[in-house]
Amino acid sequence: MAKAFSAGRRGITGHLESAERDLLRKLFSDIISMLEPDSPAHEDPLAALIGLDMDVSVPSDPALLRLLPDAVKDDAAASLEFRQLTERSLREGKIGALRAASLGLESDKLVLDAEAARHWAMALNDVRLVLAERLDIRSEEDADKVHEVQDWDQAEDVDSYLSLVYNFVTWLQESLVQAMLSSLARKD
Amino acid sequence: MSVSTAPETDREVTTSELISPDIPWELIVWNDPVNLMSYVSYVFQSYFGYSEAKAAKLMMQVHTEGRSAVAHGSKEKMEAHAAAMHGYGLWATVQKGGPRG
Repeated sequence: MAKAFSAGRRGITGHLESAERDLLRKLFSDIISMLEPDSPAHEDPLAALIGLDMDVSVPSDPALLRLLPDAVKDDAAASLEFRQLTERSLREGKIGALRAASLGLESDKLVLDAEAARHWAMALNDVRLVLAERLDIRSEEDADKVHEVQDWDQAEDVDSYLSLVYNFVTWLQESLVQAMLSSLARKD
Repeated sequence: MSVSTAPETDREVTTSELISPDIPWELIVWNDPVNLMSYVSYVFQSYFGYSEAKAAKLMMQVHTEGRSAVAHGSKEKMEAHAAAMHGYGLWATVQKGGPRG
């Protein structure tokens, strides 16, 4: 069983079992595949340099839309313009965090500095957003219901399995963020 | 108000007119049932540099009221913040602000 993260002088440390690392590696890699752009970077070198992407469109997969949401409410044209300017670098930033977290899975003991911890927290959060979309978590009640599934013997269908995975990743992220908050408080 | 200060006031009005198009924008962060309260607090503290108390207050406002205007400023700055919030997985939008708050 994974140990909760703890903040110390050498950074934030945690411990994951081999099966847990395999699971996380698979989850990170799934989200990376979702986020990899369909089209190559723009051929216009200036457009590529500033990350401009005129071919971008609103994601049809609701889970991907949750990772890359609209930035202007009730204004599709303004949101699309924002996407053209920012979506490619948003995808790249998220993929970077997921890859960094994945690399950290090489050993069973995790030792994270502030930057690595931030990447981990972002990566775990993106995993949870996608799982929550697949599990149809729309309200606090939905979230509570998923939270009740705690026993791995209950894993009899896809939804109960996804619920267990979601709860594990939630526990891991909460434990990591608590350690990060206590590191921040220590600096003040 | 005394008459003698009138020229001073005029100059101030002109200045605020010049910069006003850039001022009234705000960044709204929306509630969702997935993001952890601790994580939202962490993002507000580490990204915006808000104190623990201010971050907690804004986080609770998102949680209980469904949304909170967490930053105010120029349109470009709010858009940069929105992109950063999306990087963290928080759902944020930019809008022209009404009265501050």
